[in-house]
Amino acid sequence: MSDAPFKNPGWAGNTGEFDLSEAEVRGDDFVGDRERAGAHPSTSATYPYMLAEKNPDVPLFEGEYHERFEKILTQYPTKQAALLPALGLAQEIRGYVSPESMDRVAELLELAPAYVRGVATFYTMYNKRPVGRHLVQVCTNISCNLCGADEVLAAFLRYTDTEMGETSDDGEFTVIEAECLAACGFPTCVQINSRYFENVTPADVPKIVERLKAESGEASGS
Amino acid sequence: MAESNEITLTIDGHEVSVRKGTTLLQAAQEIGTSVPHYCYHPGMSSPAMCRLCLVEVEGAPKPMPSCVTQAQDGQVVHTESELALDMRRGVLEFYLVNHPLDCPICDQSGECKLQDYVHEEGREHGRSREPKRVFGRDDFGGDVLFYGDRCVMCTRCVRFMNEVEQDSRLTVVERGNRSIIDTFFEEGLEGTYWHGNIVDICPVGALVSKDFLHKARAWDLDHTDSVCPSCSQGCNVSLHTRDNLVQRIKPRENLAVNGWWMCDYGRMNYEWINAGHRLEAPLVRADGDTRAMGWKEALKALLERAPTAAAHGVKAVASPHASNEDLAAFQALVRDLGGEDVLYRLRVVENERPLKGFPNLARRRELAPNADGAELLGMTRVGDDDASGGLDEVADHDGLILVLGDDLDDQGEEFGRNAACYIHLGAHGGTAPANAHFLLPVTTFAEQEGTFTNRDGRVQRFWPSMETAGAARPPWFVLGVLLAERTGAPAARSAAESFAQLSSRVDAFAGLTYEGLGARGAVVNETVSLTGGG
Repeated sequence: MSDAPFKNPGWAGNTGEFDLSEAEVRGDDFVGDRERAGAHPSTSATYPYMLAEKNPDVPLFEGEYHERFEKILTQYPTKQAALLPALGLAQEIRGYVSPESMDRVAELLELAPAYVRGVATFYTMYNKRPVGRHLVQVCTNISCNLCGADEVLAAFLRYTDTEMGETSDDGEFTVIEAECLAACGFPTCVQINSRYFENVTPADVPKIVERLKAESGEASGS
Repeated sequence: MAESNEITLTIDGHEVSVRKGTTLLQAAQEIGTSVPHYCYHPGMSSPAMCRLCLVEVEGAPKPMPSCVTQAQDGQVVHTESELALDMRRGVLEFYLVNHPLDCPICDQSGECKLQDYVHEEGREHGRSREPKRVFGRDDFGGDVLFYGDRCVMCTRCVRFMNEVEQDSRLTVVERGNRSIIDTFFEEGLEGTYWHGNIVDICPVGALVSKDFLHKARAWDLDHTDSVCPSCSQGCNVSLHTRDNLVQRIKPRENLAVNGWWMCDYGRMNYEWINAGHRLEAPLVRADGDTRAMGWKEALKALLERAPTAAAHGVKAVASPHASNEDLAAFQALVRDLGGEDVLYRLRVVENERPLKGFPNLARRRELAPNADGAELLGMTRVGDDDASGGLDEVADHDGLILVLGDDLDDQGEEFGRNAACYIHLGAHGGTAPANAHFLLPVTTFAEQEGTFTNRDGRVQRFWPSMETAGAARPPWFVLGVLLAERTGAPAARSAAESFAQLSSRVDAFAGLTYEGLGARGAVVNETVSLTGGG
């Protein structure tokens, strides 16, 4: 564990420091339970609001989430403009954007369902299928690829025992390729949920996977 | 400085003057230059996303998309310069990277813009060696089948559904080379009423008609200008025929009536034109015996018998599916025989089906093309909204009964039994027509020339697209000959002459000439109807 120079939200630690806790990476102020109703309207549409537990069956936009949805609407001139955060909220709650979610969002925002599907499928950060607790996105774009991203990807697939894009049997991991994650200075970059792991080599992969499994164990054990 | 709305620019060395706000593509069309394009369609917005209409504009740093670039005064534009051609060659090469090149089994082949443009301006050989991505087919429901691999992503279909039909069923799903046109999962196009148009506007074979699938090759079809006979809107259409059968109906541009569109009901309502059970020779019934005769003999017998029967009164029924000339000739004969009123029956359905994005265009409630013509001629509508009933007095009439075009499907075997003479002009036989003393075979609208008057009083011409069945003749011709035999006046020898007789006799049609109608039609008594007096 290193001495973090300052509480820099999003600072991923020095090279090879893959054992940093969420608090160390994000800074204390950014970790912990969020208000599901979205606190102040101006931040209601933005990350970080990642939930550890997704529930694909929870009713969308009801109760606290309805409050949050209403807050999001206040931030945009038209209902259509609120489409992206509305889809984001649906994904936050359910873990992915299902056809039913798209239909519901379309209904609430008075848009054509087909249009909502077009938007949702355009953006890669909306999961159109359920994903594991840890969504591992390995950058295989130019810089990372030159520095061995393909081997890193293969290592993740091996150690999580999954096929590309499939979810492991225990529901822990989904490994996919990503296009440039804008961390070309630190190849290979791997994004796991909302956190970056930089300078990853195939040798680091088992350690990272073990840590993620341990984290899940703690979460479910507590 | 005087404000002028006219600007002058040079396109390919030709000077052209256009109104301010005209796009380069439209200006080029003024001088007969068609700049290749996919996404641009005159009836919809231009997203400038197909990148095929790029032209070289002197002074501009980059090639400009001509479908959205407004013409400027003094501009010098090159659509055929080395740069423009090179650009199009490049764009077309990209279009073919994932195209399956399945022209031999593609319905669009022969009328495909990708085929045309690549043939004219594309590279001889592609350089792509990578495997093509494959989507396969998707059934969109209704009459539409989607071949994803042929799509060029012009989004004309998406914009048609958004802007013109205004029922946003279609969208672009995914992105990059995975992008594809789709509906909301299994929603499909079911329940929309104008989706056949997306097949028309698709520049390639991505959207094809299930009805037309593998039915005919485009180059084997004869195109005949016509008017849709399915409702009183009178959409301008083109009948596409092969082997003397209508294979499909396509809309024909007429901004005053239907723009570029037509409804699915009209589009699909053509099988009756091809129906095989036709009357092919005049049938004359006398002394309990029905005989087929030649026209001359039959009309001679008719002229002997009809006047005596007419002494007991004349009842006449016409059909709003007959042309103006047919109806007028029918009415003239009825009047000459001492009759007065001509009845007609009209099918009226409950709902209009408007096309939201185009003014004054709908599948109208009146499902006949010439109800307005019948009204202008002073005929009387009888019967119910399903075009039945209303003929009780006619059925039992003991004098002369004349029927034109109405198949009398709702009438029983007793129709016309008591008549001294029952004359029926029709394309098909039937229970009631079988009682006719003179059952005369006439042509359908697809086999003859003539005009229909649509609900706005627009008189529009249609042209013969098929061979006539057997000895069938146009009604205006048969009726004109009969009248001429009785009065001694010359009979009309062509639809044009018949129309001239009509316009000289009926005030509503005064001033219209057959030639003046042209391919777009003209409105009856325009000045009168404009002031609200019509």
